[in-house]
Amino acid sequence: MPETSSTNTAGAVEVGDGPVARSPIRPLPPVRLHAGWEVSGRRSEAALQLADLSPLAKVHVRTSPTSALASFLEVGFGRSARDEGGRLVVGAGPDSWTVIGRTGTASEIVASLQAAAGAEPASVIDTTHGRALVRLTGSDARRLLEKVCAIDFDDAVTPDGATFTSSVARVVTEVVRDDLDGLPSYLLACERSSGQYLFDSLLDAGNEFTVEIDGFPEKEI
Amino acid sequence: MILIPCPHCGDRNSSEFTYAGEVHSRPSPGDARQGPWRDYLYGKDNPAGWTEERWFHGSGCGKYLRAERHTVTNEIRATRPEVGAGASSRTRP
Ligand SMILES: [Zn+2]
Repeated sequence: MPETSSTNTAGAVEVGDGPVARSPIRPLPPVRLHAGWEVSGRRSEAALQLADLSPLAKVHVRTSPTSALASFLEVGFGRSARDEGGRLVVGAGPDSWTVIGRTGTASEIVASLQAAAGAEPASVIDTTHGRALVRLTGSDARRLLEKVCAIDFDDAVTPDGATFTSSVARVVTEVVRDDLDGLPSYLLACERSSGQYLFDSLLDAGNEFTVEIDGFPEKEI
Repeated sequence: MILIPCPHCGDRNSSEFTYAGEVHSRPSPGDARQGPWRDYLYGKDNPAGWTEERWFHGSGCGKYLRAERHTVTNEIRATRPEVGAGASSRTRP
């Protein structure tokens, strides 16, 4: 048994001081632990910032758009909205959704969605450890994304709350516009194995706008 | 850039799609003879003109769609979602 874990008398595993999970994106020092995840404690004051949000709970849902679960989720394809619990519900496809919540809440999200689905066919999967998630924030975020993605980022086409899946730096990426305090902000999610590449590509494209890496945020979602 | 109007996502660069072949009706697997079955699997009309094709939007909605495309001008006059088995490809998060 590794030193960081021990089994108590009830048989449950207690986690010690070490990390239990790592993002596919290397955290910049200072590195701290957050709910078992290694995250960066760096703070940037730059006008354009890129942060790794991979520890957030990411639950993938697939069901018919006419099912009870779909009406429970409320959000339609191409849109996103916060639910009562502050989770971001993303209408990712004609019959698929992504629910993003605070770190460590995936199992409770899965349970509530499965309860809402009832006996109807639905697939609810915790993809937290299988997907990378980053946030790009700043008034130049749009100009950066226009360099690596062929979608029209004009407010008329991609307003706050809009979501789509497309090629971003040649990676299949789910993009959600989720403005922060009036600043344009975009969440970008891709397969875990492409996470570091997408992160580096965005940094590279953002060089001319002096993009900076920011650490794991206080307000997660 | 050739734009393909995905019925789910709207106009997208053709590089987001994979060509999945001409649309032909499948002979009944129970009683089809060798000839028609071989034609169904391997035969292509490849006309210089309008043809109906299946495309897969892998970098977008992850759905198959049907497109009417002119093979000489590359004009696409209609697209619609694929229906029935195979309409939805895989569980892609
Ligand atoms: Zn599509």
